[in-house]
Amino acid sequence: MSDFHQTDPIITLHRLGRAGLERIESEMVEFSKQRPIALVLPALYTEFQGEAIKGIIEELKKVKYIREIVLTLGRAKEEEFKKVKEFMSQIPYEVKIIHNEGKRIQEIYATLDRNGLWAGEDGKGRSAWIAYGYVLANGVSDAIALHDCDIVTYNREMLARLCYPVANPNIDVVFCKGFYSRITDRMHGRVTRLLMTPLLRALQKLVGPNPFLLFLDSFRYPLAGEFCMIADVARTNRIPWDWGLEVGVLAEVFRNYSPRRVCQVDIADNYEHKHQPLSAEDVQKGLMRMCVDICKSIFRTLAAEGIVLSDSFFKSLQVAYIRLAEDTMVKYEADAAINGLLFDRHEEAGAVEAFASAIQKAAEAFMEGPMVSPLIPNWNRVTSAIPGILDMLKKAVDEDNRS
Amino acid sequence: MEGFMDVLFQPLEDFWKGFVSFVPNLLVMVFIFILGFLFAWVIGISLKRVLAVVNFDIWCDRVGLTALIRKGDVWTKPSEVFVRILYWFLVILFIMIGLTALQLPTIDNLISQFFLYIPRVFSALLILIAGYLFAGFLSRAVLIAAVNSGYHYAKVLAEAVRLLLVVLILAMALEQLQIAPGIVVAAFSLIFGGIVLALAIAFGIGGIDAAKRIIEGEGEAKKMEKKEEEEKGEEEKGRDIEHL
Repeated sequence: MSDFHQTDPIITLHRLGRAGLERIESEMVEFSKQRPIALVLPALYTEFQGEAIKGIIEELKKVKYIREIVLTLGRAKEEEFKKVKEFMSQIPYEVKIIHNEGKRIQEIYATLDRNGLWAGEDGKGRSAWIAYGYVLANGVSDAIALHDCDIVTYNREMLARLCYPVANPNIDVVFCKGFYSRITDRMHGRVTRLLMTPLLRALQKLVGPNPFLLFLDSFRYPLAGEFCMIADVARTNRIPWDWGLEVGVLAEVFRNYSPRRVCQVDIADNYEHKHQPLSAEDVQKGLMRMCVDICKSIFRTLAAEGIVLSDSFFKSLQVAYIRLAEDTMVKYEADAAINGLLFDRHEEAGAVEAFASAIQKAAEAFMEGPMVSPLIPNWNRVTSAIPGILDMLKKAVDEDNRS
Repeated sequence: MEGFMDVLFQPLEDFWKGFVSFVPNLLVMVFIFILGFLFAWVIGISLKRVLAVVNFDIWCDRVGLTALIRKGDVWTKPSEVFVRILYWFLVILFIMIGLTALQLPTIDNLISQFFLYIPRVFSALLILIAGYLFAGFLSRAVLIAAVNSGYHYAKVLAEAVRLLLVVLILAMALEQLQIAPGIVVAAFSLIFGGIVLALAIAFGIGGIDAAKRIIEGEGEAKKMEKKEEEEKGEEEKGRDIEHL
């Protein structure tokens, strides 16, 4: 990004001048002595059959400031878990793999369940949450970074820039989120461009100035899956297990910390990962399910902030959203034109219609059950209910990695 | 010839008589075994239901017994572990009772020893469970107290307290089980004494300066007190002279 504009109320760290990977990495090595960093990687076994993970591991092998990697492996059989363990052994520092389908981890989930602490359905949220638990149980890292395992354009500068604001003791930041553009021959990131931004602005129109909406709107890529935080955030924040993970995490950060201690950092010129189909006709699948969960998460947080959400509110919201989304589309069309990118107006309009129906579905779901929450209890509550749970988790993961 | 036949068949006859008198005992033993397995199975199933009703697993999770079981790399429900232990205990008990039906002096002796040993196993188990809970409680109390008073190595101190108590509890349990009691007591004395001595030396060496300061401070205070008293005495003397 070429500008240096600051969006209130959070801090924005731009990519200005030379990249300076060596400088940033050498500083990170020093910072990590004071604030050791754990890298959490939620992954499915299918991702280990792709090419992206190979590139990620090649890059991670060269990183010198990460204290430990905690990889949560989902949908893997025993044999597949062993293969991944062998594959990850090429990394020259501590790597622990959480075998989500393993007997020991399943027993941990069962223990939580019988104590009324449901950890939710299998997914990125639960994978991240259980990995945080292991990092807290291990007690060697003070900061936690997280990114996906399907990033095709991954390089270690991404990780360095993501961790830097939290690791640097002179920048008093507790939570840092990455941002980037997603372009190939066209613009991607439809959910952020055509759902999140117009929806947040439509809500601001209806509700008026609202600190939470302003906070969310200040993020350039609120749905980015890459973030870094101090370990305390992992202890006190609740995480949604559904697709509303990114928005839910931001809502919890907003609730528990001052926005002045939150930042976003430009981590890459371009970012490319697995694209999901829109599946406009089925709200239980693909991007549509994600959109419904995101909208529900926003509505729940607003209701918790004391804003009254009624049927008429949602009707007005739908109309306001469509108007703003259409305006946004026009802006992106112009943006695509000047940058020589393809822009399928019809496809984008179709996406807006699908997103409008996702908002409607989310509104219906919210009106039916406003108290239904997909948030996994935070680790403070879990350890209060089951004092030995972190020891159990550590034992389970260590044993799985030993055998 | 008859005498020869008697000699020849007498052992066989004796064996037959013995066998005939032994078979009912054997059948009784087998019957007791089967009864034992059935009884253990019924008790196991009933107990499982009772434990589920009283939320035994949740209680174990909260007091830390589940964590203790997991330390042994056992990953089944605490109630299941408890039921299995009881099941096999009952099965062994019935096997022992069944064996007494054979009325063999060697086995009878062995069984009486087994029954005498059972109370020891129970008390050792109780010591282990109660001791583990107490160690956890005390370690947590130490951790909270140390953290609240700003002690930097609070976690290490709490873990040290837990370790000391675990050593003590293990020694007590082994002593109760009469497993090499002499060696256990000696080993415990050496380990515990060693730890206490190491702590004493560590605190002693580390605290030389502090102790010196305290002693010097007390010495100074005493000197000051003495001086004040002397001055007071002088003043009173002066007043007395004035009165005169």
